[in-house]
Amino acid sequence: MNISYNWLKDLIETDLTPQEIAENLTKIGLAVEGIHPFANDFVFDIDLTSNRGDCLSHWGVAREISAIADCGLRIADSNLERNSANPDLVTIQDADLCHRFTARIIKNVKIKPSPEWLVKRLEAIGQRAVNNVADITNYVMHELGNPMHAFDLNKLAEKRIVVRRARVGEKMQTLDEVERSFSEDMLLICDSEKPVAVGGVMGGLHSSISDETTDVLLEVAYFKRDSIRQTSRKLGLATEAAYRFERGVDIENLIRASNRATELIIELASGVAGDFVDIYPTKREEISVELRYEKIKALTGLDVSNEEAARILTKLGFKSAIRNPQPAIFTVPTWRHDISIEQDLVEEVARHVGYDKIGVELPPSVGAGEYQPNEVRKFHLRQALANLGFDEAISYSFIDTKNDDTFELIPDLVDEELEEKFVTLQDSIIEGAVRMRPSLLSGLLDAVRTNFNHQRKDVKLFELGKVFATASNEMDLPKEQELFGLVLTGGETFEGKSMTGRELDFFDTKGALEVAMDAINLPSLQYKPKEIKHLRKGQAAEILFNGRTVGSIGRINDEISATYKFRQPVYVAEIDLQTLLAEKENAVFYKPLSKFPAVTRDVSFLVKRTTSYTEIIQTVQDQGFDLCKNVSFVDVYEGKGMADDERSVTIRLEYRSDERTLIEAEVEEIHRQILAEIETKLGAKQRF
Amino acid sequence: MSEQKQQVLEIKNIFEQEFSRFADVRNTINNLSLSVAENLRHEISEFKIKHTGKKSLIAEAKKLIGRVAPEERGTFGQFVQSVEKEIVTAIDGLEEKLKTYINEVKTAREAIDVTLPARRPRVGHLHPLTLLRQRIEDIFVSMGYAIEDDREIETDYYNFDALNIPEGHPARESQDTFYTTTGLALRSQTSTVQIRAMERRGAPLRVIAPGRVFRRDTPDMTHVPMFHQIEGLCVDKGITMAHLKGTVAEWLRRLFGKDTKIRMRPSYFPFTEPSAEFDFSCFKCDGTGTFEGERCRPCKGSGWIELGGCGMVHPNVLKNCNVDPEIYSGFAFGFGLERMCALMYALDDIRYMFDNDVRFLEQFR
Repeated sequence: MNISYNWLKDLIETDLTPQEIAENLTKIGLAVEGIHPFANDFVFDIDLTSNRGDCLSHWGVAREISAIADCGLRIADSNLERNSANPDLVTIQDADLCHRFTARIIKNVKIKPSPEWLVKRLEAIGQRAVNNVADITNYVMHELGNPMHAFDLNKLAEKRIVVRRARVGEKMQTLDEVERSFSEDMLLICDSEKPVAVGGVMGGLHSSISDETTDVLLEVAYFKRDSIRQTSRKLGLATEAAYRFERGVDIENLIRASNRATELIIELASGVAGDFVDIYPTKREEISVELRYEKIKALTGLDVSNEEAARILTKLGFKSAIRNPQPAIFTVPTWRHDISIEQDLVEEVARHVGYDKIGVELPPSVGAGEYQPNEVRKFHLRQALANLGFDEAISYSFIDTKNDDTFELIPDLVDEELEEKFVTLQDSIIEGAVRMRPSLLSGLLDAVRTNFNHQRKDVKLFELGKVFATASNEMDLPKEQELFGLVLTGGETFEGKSMTGRELDFFDTKGALEVAMDAINLPSLQYKPKEIKHLRKGQAAEILFNGRTVGSIGRINDEISATYKFRQPVYVAEIDLQTLLAEKENAVFYKPLSKFPAVTRDVSFLVKRTTSYTEIIQTVQDQGFDLCKNVSFVDVYEGKGMADDERSVTIRLEYRSDERTLIEAEVEEIHRQILAEIETKLGAKQRF
Repeated sequence: MSEQKQQVLEIKNIFEQEFSRFADVRNTINNLSLSVAENLRHEISEFKIKHTGKKSLIAEAKKLIGRVAPEERGTFGQFVQSVEKEIVTAIDGLEEKLKTYINEVKTAREAIDVTLPARRPRVGHLHPLTLLRQRIEDIFVSMGYAIEDDREIETDYYNFDALNIPEGHPARESQDTFYTTTGLALRSQTSTVQIRAMERRGAPLRVIAPGRVFRRDTPDMTHVPMFHQIEGLCVDKGITMAHLKGTVAEWLRRLFGKDTKIRMRPSYFPFTEPSAEFDFSCFKCDGTGTFEGERCRPCKGSGWIELGGCGMVHPNVLKNCNVDPEIYSGFAFGFGLERMCALMYALDDIRYMFDNDVRFLEQFR
């Protein structure tokens, strides 16, 4: 909001420089964002908070300065006659929306351009001059804060005003030359037949002041704040008047504002004051607020004497009924719509004493700090993944609906029975993104595409974030589940080296998941081959934890790759982190170190490709030989020299006793039995 | 004896004659290529066998010692040995020289450029928002605060009503808030966590709520429709605005250095009364507004950086959480993490935060 320095000086007795005024205003919460010179004037650009409708005028700002600088206000009273021969001039039919309405008739006006001083004043605060009468209504609004409207009296049917709600289908062309239709909850200013203005928002074109106007009806009224807000929003009409009515104007200042405007019209448009009516059906209730002076210190820590507190409040227009003994009771001025409780009064005093006077101290310490229950584990998870070369992604929570059927979601997230499985926004800001994501994968794939577009072909990303789905029970709020997802593609990369190493594959993805599980201190996951919607057949697995499916892992299928224009394999994994973090952490117990040497045997088997490594290991373990302490993976070979449906798997068996050194013969016997079982059970052939 | 001596001298002569083909080597050794030097060394070791081995002439000459008259044997023996030594020394000297040279060349050849990059797998990077959030959380945990988060999709009650934001308040306009088709709000501030935390924990409490929030802002350099806020809340008996100021000053000092100053300006928020905005002295220009002779960028030359809002918790908010405002008072403050990140890293476009462009992410540690 723009406020003129010269104009302010008309209203207050002060010698403060523009700079000093700006500092004072900022200090008390009317933040001055800039001081701009304009002709021989200075204009303050004030960023006003939405609660301070009372400061949307020079008078309101002057009042604040009079309190902070302790100086007087100049108020000019009027001695205009206030009576009417015409009791029907104004009728209020809907007093719940129009609390008070004043009208003044001014006759024989000459419409012409405003004098230069008035034009300058308006231009200084960024207002455009139109004609003398219109400019005066605008001027008085910026001076005293009450929006007002001047009608061409001769354009009003029966030359009278009816204030009522709109009727079905009622239309009118507003001043901006737009034809508008009204709904029945909107308040209109009408003549005996038709609407002539949208109450408190904008006047009608037909009844507006023109060069031919000779007689004027000047409206200064008070409208219900919520009603103005709704009407203004519905019509898409954000006007200066509506802006002020919404925030609340001073209902007790209507006559003064009307008189001020009337006198200016008499002076500048050579009019003659005529009838005046004041219809005030909905009286404002007086608000009294109790102030225990000690509350000022209790809330702000400021030491303020009772006298100083009372002085500040009085300067701001509060009237104190009882000062002593405590508590004092203050009557809230009619222009303040933001004061209703004791804390509000404390703030008034505190901001005028100055927040800079508030001390700086720490509250006495109690209790101990704590992270969120799993924050430390998540910290380790993030750090471990970063150490493994993954960058952390954060993607938008809303995604495009076109991803709806692309990804297989973690189990138990969506209820397939529901008609609306997903959480959907009413509309989007980023085009198409109305779906609250049920998976992290679309965001991660978008990120891969972004990086490919920048010629970055080796990408490893992970994300921790919430996904969303409709709850099965419609009374419940939507499900929010924290997942962990990762994506990787391209080759192994090294710090400071442009050339990449080996191409990354499924097992790098799996490795990253294992690192993640170690970081959150949980036992390892199991992987079971499975067809997964978004993954390529034969390179896809579901991930299980203690036999329960918690996610999926694999290579993005060709169809999705084509949509994203990926020309190289992309691997993803997604797991239900929230469920995993609810599991009990691994406890570590020391195992005695063996004193006896181990015997190891490497053995290769020719197996069908359908036989999994896990099956081989399981076959060894199932035999339950105590002396076979460990079985591990050495290598797998397929391709040249192998049948298409076969591969060679090499494993290492480790035999050891905790009590003695084993002799060759006993190892041989167990080893033979183990190999025989693998051959029989899995149809494997020992190669060497 | 002189015959034998003559014979030995002849042997010496033959040696010297044959050895003369290596005469140049001493002078040209430093110009030899490694392969020539290695060949030479091989040649010399064969030459050595030929001239000093069991079948060499000098070995033969030793047999002559027995044929010399016993009284001359001593002298002759010494003579033979001296010749032998001369031969051995000559060959060994050259051999040693070559060996040293070959080692030097080889070492030089195996010398590495120690300034080449280390062999180290590329390390990934945490998101700058995570890095900053973790730093701030650490500070507050050490000050006795509990970190809390909660739902991102909320009812109007938690997002607005409980926070004393009445129906019709501008902050409630749907222009600002995302709504689901079922009428729920994506939380537009982490203050929702204040309410849930107070409901759970009651008073007294100290919590910090970092979290994701949503507002219907069209993305531009300083706006994104999803961002992160950190909100602090302290409720206890006798809490004042001085505690608020002290707490904000303390954590900003821990983050930006001990000389950091803060100031509060009156403001308005429905959930606090009195309300304020807090600024801190610019970390770049130390509050002077000028950096290296130019107008300081983060603070736009004002010396102050506006960070967030704060105030004393509104009694209605306390009451909504069953905390008696006659017994307890509290302060709350909040600020945007993206904005703070942008300030700290001199980032001029916060949209990069959610692009997941590796060129962006890898700049932060």
